[in-house]
Amino acid sequence: MLRVFLTSIVLMCASCARLDHVQISDIDQSQGPLKAISVKVSNVGFDAAATTAIAADLASSESARDNLGDLAAILAMFNMGPRTGNPVYNDRYAEGLLQQLKQQCESGKITAIRNIREAKSYGTISGEIVRIDADCII
Amino acid sequence: MKKLIGCMAAFIVSNTLVGCVSLNSVSLTQLPEKREHLVSASASDLVFLGFTSQNDFVDEAVTALKSKCVGGKLTGILTKHQTTAYVLVFKREVIASGYCNTAAG
Repeated sequence: MLRVFLTSIVLMCASCARLDHVQISDIDQSQGPLKAISVKVSNVGFDAAATTAIAADLASSESARDNLGDLAAILAMFNMGPRTGNPVYNDRYAEGLLQQLKQQCESGKITAIRNIREAKSYGTISGEIVRIDADCII
Repeated sequence: MKKLIGCMAAFIVSNTLVGCVSLNSVSLTQLPEKREHLVSASASDLVFLGFTSQNDFVDEAVTALKSKCVGGKLTGILTKHQTTAYVLVFKREVIASGYCNTAAG
């Protein structure tokens, strides 16, 4: 019964979407027709503390459970503080967004920029996504 | 005693069903000089226990906002992203408003 329940939870959590931030910029529809453009970059986020805590719960021996529990607490302390989503191992993954956006708009006139910070969560691992949707004035 | 329990149950139920709002993000763009024609749009979705696989409702808000200022320029856009928690269900919502200025005025 427990296995069925846990499997159901895992399946339900598979690819859960999370929305952190939405920002809409000025929208100019007065200069001509618009073409939708979009850029998305992502990086793997990993919740090490939660993973270790799960390992501690699943450990068969008492000592392993204690050690993993201590490790989970230490990892949680390393990652405490304000944050958005899971920590990633590359702090520059969102830097190429502007260049990619420009490449999709030949006229160079971009309006209606939507900055969306979201994530796809797969248990303790997540895809931390930055998406920029916009309109190119043709 | 039964009346007291009934009152307490009604109080708890009414409080939990009303929902608690958390404001996730707010942004504002440059305000125009002419601020006469304010338009607003919102879009939302309901998710059970937070399980969802998409954030497409954001696009609906933008499309609705655009449709209210066809051929014009929308500036001073205030965007709010908020989540309302009901019992086991969450309402995710994007509310956007801005000033529409057209060539016709």
